Amino acid sequence: PLGCDPSSASDKKVFFLPCKNPPSHQQVQLWLEARKQYESLR
Amino acid sequence: MTTLTRQDINFGQVVADILCEFLEVAIHLILYVREVYPSGIFQKRKKYNVPVQMSCHPELNQYIQDTLHCVKPLIEKNDAEKVVVVIMDKEHHPVERFVFEISQPPLLSISSDILLSHVEQLLRAFILKISVCDAILNNNPPGCSFTVLVHTRDVATRNMEKVQVIKDFPWIVADEQEVNMQEPKLIPLKTMTSDIVKMQLYVEERAQKTQVY
Repeated sequence: PLGCDPSSASDKKVFFLPCKNPPSHQQVQLWLEARKQYESLR
Repeated sequence: MTTLTRQDINFGQVVADILCEFLEVAIHLILYVREVYPSGIFQKRKKYNVPVQMSCHPELNQYIQDTLHCVKPLIEKNDAEKVVVVIMDKEHHPVERFVFEISQPPLLSISSDILLSHVEQLLRAFILKISVCDAILNNNPPGCSFTVLVHTRDVATRNMEKVQVIKDFPWIVADEQEVNMQEPKLIPLKTMTSDIVKMQLYVEERAQKTQVY
């Protein structure tokens, strides 16, 4: 059967994505605030 | 004029280098324009002779670099059909998908410097389109995040395996929720045709961005 053809299985198109997530908006906001505080102290 | 084939040394690598450098700039700019992150983390730089906004957040920059490092072997072997920057709402449902559709010719007629400067001009036009795309897109809901999808042949992902292990950056098959969008509106942004690559960029935008699931 067509579904068992190894060549068609290897040619199957798939979408891949990284397992890890990028930093969240909240994390980045906290980093930004900390950086601003640090710069104001310098 | 020299004719090179895909098997020639460096051909695939040159294309992958050019595209990954472009995709890095494009991803930073999309994240800025679509306000995925606070504007304070972005700094103005000059790329392709036009001003762009690039993040200075180390973790985010590393994430984008690691992602493209894994995508590069696929582009090198002409196995990446689409690279998609997906912007998702708080519930992780896509609200916008920036689709970079890539195809490479099997043969290349190259005249080095002229060719590369032509490609740079074409890529510049993409950057300019991305930087003004907020004018034609609806605002995104607050608290959005993003991911990058790559559309490839199942067997081609073997090219990624070595890089995944080295970089400790594993990839998985995307599920329905990450790939499909309800009632998308299609917005073509830019198309380019050059001797080394053909590329099309369009946005799929969810009709109801504040939809409750």
